[in-house]
Amino acid sequence: MTEKLVIENVSKSYRETEILKSVSFDAKDGEFLSILGASGCGKTTLLRILIGLLEPDTGKITKDGTDITHAAPDKRGMGIVFQNYALFENMTVLQNVKYALKFHGIPKADAEKNALDMIAAVGLSDHIKKYPKNLSGGQQQRVAIARTLALNPDIVLLDEPMSALDVATRLSMRKELKGLQAQFGTTMIYVTHDQEEAFALSDRIMIMNQGEICQIDTPENIMRNPADEYVRTFVIDNLQAKVDSLSKFINGRRGG
Amino acid sequence: MRRKNISKLIISICIALFFIVCVISPIVSMLCRITPDGFMSVVGSPQFLPAVINSVSTALIATVISLLLAISSAWCIRRTDIKLKALFSTIFVVPMLIPSISHAFGLVALFGSNGLITNLLSLDGNIYGFWGIVVGSVLYSFPVAFLMFSSILEYEDGMTYKAAEVLGIPALSRFTGITLPYLKKTIISAFFAVFTMIVTDYGVPLMIGGKTTTLSVLMYNKAVGMIDYDSGSVIGAFLLVPAVAAFIVDLLNPENSQSSFVSEKVEPKKSRMQKILSYVFCTLICVCVFAPIASFCIMVFETKYPVDPVPTLYHIQKTLSRGADKYLLNSMIYSAVTALLGTLLAFICSYITSRLNDKFSKGLHLISITSMAIPGIVLGLSYVIFFHGSPIYGTILIVILVNSIHFFASPYLMMYNTLGKVNPNLEAVGQSLGIHRLFIIKDVVIPKVRGALVEMFTYFFVNSMMTISAVSFLAPPAPKPVALMINQFEAQLLMESAAFVSIIIFVVNVLIKGVSNLIKRKLAASR
Ligand SMILES: Nc1ncnc2c1ncn2[C@@H]1O[C@H](COP(=O)(O)OP(=O)(O)OP(=O)(O)O)[C@@H](O)[C@H]1O
Ligand SMILES: [Mg+2]
Repeated sequence: MTEKLVIENVSKSYRETEILKSVSFDAKDGEFLSILGASGCGKTTLLRILIGLLEPDTGKITKDGTDITHAAPDKRGMGIVFQNYALFENMTVLQNVKYALKFHGIPKADAEKNALDMIAAVGLSDHIKKYPKNLSGGQQQRVAIARTLALNPDIVLLDEPMSALDVATRLSMRKELKGLQAQFGTTMIYVTHDQEEAFALSDRIMIMNQGEICQIDTPENIMRNPADEYVRTFVIDNLQAKVDSLSKFINGRRGG
Repeated sequence: MRRKNISKLIISICIALFFIVCVISPIVSMLCRITPDGFMSVVGSPQFLPAVINSVSTALIATVISLLLAISSAWCIRRTDIKLKALFSTIFVVPMLIPSISHAFGLVALFGSNGLITNLLSLDGNIYGFWGIVVGSVLYSFPVAFLMFSSILEYEDGMTYKAAEVLGIPALSRFTGITLPYLKKTIISAFFAVFTMIVTDYGVPLMIGGKTTTLSVLMYNKAVGMIDYDSGSVIGAFLLVPAVAAFIVDLLNPENSQSSFVSEKVEPKKSRMQKILSYVFCTLICVCVFAPIASFCIMVFETKYPVDPVPTLYHIQKTLSRGADKYLLNSMIYSAVTALLGTLLAFICSYITSRLNDKFSKGLHLISITSMAIPGIVLGLSYVIFFHGSPIYGTILIVILVNSIHFFASPYLMMYNTLGKVNPNLEAVGQSLGIHRLFIIKDVVIPKVRGALVEMFTYFFVNSMMTISAVSFLAPPAPKPVALMINQFEAQLLMESAAFVSIIIFVVNVLIKGVSNLIKRKLAASR
């Protein structure tokens, strides 16, 4: 796989506090990369820098060999999905997905067709006339994803997109997300603080702690060779604890 | 990104300049007029100390009464099981639709030397003076306090009371231990807000004060009557003190626990006795609210109240022939333009302060709410001093400007809070999708806050219709606002005309309020 996005020595401070400390990594073409870290470690800040909503203090971002560090957010060929979706509440599902297209010189008829295709891809064709407030959390989530995908970004950033959903919806959304990625060949960078989610979804996981990268590798390698104490405690021990409590329950049931 | 920064810079500079010219400079130039000699001559004059004492004592007593009435009536609405709650709460805020001077005039019409009730009960008609000011002030300040307590009581968490009841804590202790501490902040803010409102108002004391002169009337007499701006400025500075104090209290005391999560509303009491008492109390308040308006109607539609009760349209024709219709039209134009301009300005400012996080927006927020601390009468004088000789002086424009500033803070805060609740990532989503911020504002943000926009427009309009404080300094002689005629007619002993003008203002405001509520309901339903 070739390198799609290269981040070199990106730093960001708010006043005295350094939020990102010279972060460097890359994302491969078509990869599913998770960014895993505790609350406040700088994940959202990093995503906002990647899409261009924030300027880094130092460092460079390259996409397909082009320097995009200072490019406008909509000129990067990237999309972003926020945790709270930020849907346009006064617009229907169709209008939500279609609205941005008219600012990109896409003819009306094409825009409508693109939007309908995208809505079909996320499985909402029966709901195109509904308003966001009449949709379930998972459905709103899908509208946000369709709205982002409609512009054909080759990289999609997702900031804790599942954290507002219930467990069952989360599990089914995982599958759908992977399906969409396969269908469109999009590179996905997925921010989460849920260890299990990161391990279930990712080609590679990047583990962050207080603005620094601890380790970036495949789930298997991280399991086998945790880079430092933080990875061991925050990631592996936590996962182990989950497995332990579950297996106790399952064994208990068998025993009983 | 560079172009965006430049347009943002230009907008910021324009807004900063606007506030410097329209708020800061006038106040500073008024304060600059104060010289040690001028100060001493005002403070040393024989009227000054009595005026301070009258102002503070009437305002204190009226504030306490107003707050007690407001808490009791809010209690009846929120904590008892009475019916007609919506009707009662609507009627309670009706006094907000007529000018303060009309409330005092209503008292004169009822209890004055030739008043309706004076004649009915053959009293001596001695309402003028200290107690007249107190009662008049209570009448028009009550709804403001009522609204504050009614909303805070609505959002109190009922679980606390359930828990206390289960623990066997007696009712009185529940009141002193839970309710009072919960209301403490609101009591403090309401106290300062109402006190400031009363102490800086001059409509009531001017109309009904008689020989009891308050600071605000003294300032009015000096600045408008004797064109002595130096003395006016000194008194204006004194009137700024309670307003600034109220402002600081509000700043230090901002969030009420209102925003916290309410798991369950407090269940209204089912006691029969309480219900009866509440009905009696609420009905009494309604009577007090409608008495002045009823007395205006009696005066206007009777040939010679109280001696000749034959119905007539004579007084209306007479008032119209004195130009009331033209003045009314003026006022409606002023008010509509003020409402448009004010709403636009307040929306832009609140958008910047609530949705762009930078240093400029913090400063802008502070200056936006500062206008709350400037009493209308002080703003009026400071405009006279600062804008004297400028091309807008003596035109409609300065009236519109002064009203937009005078009533800026409340609509601004309303929109600031509304926009603060709109999803913070909308603009970011727009940016990532290549939708310009202006389109996000037009197509997404504004549709979401339309109701609040209507409310802001209404607030500006209704208040511009009623205000006399700032405009009495600034109104051009020819197209005068209609509210100023109340005082003028009363001074000419044309009581029926003064009453009719009060009714006109009331009717226009009721209509505007009604239409605004209809639109808001439509908007809410269409979503
Ligand atoms: N505008 C800002 N000004 C000052 N500090 C900020 C600002 N935005 C974020 N921070 C700080 O930067 C740090 C990282 O924030 P960020 O939102 O990137 O964390 P996160 O990893 O996304 O956390 P979470 O999992 O809670 O979303 C936090 O300590 C936060 O307080
Ligand atoms: Mg975050």
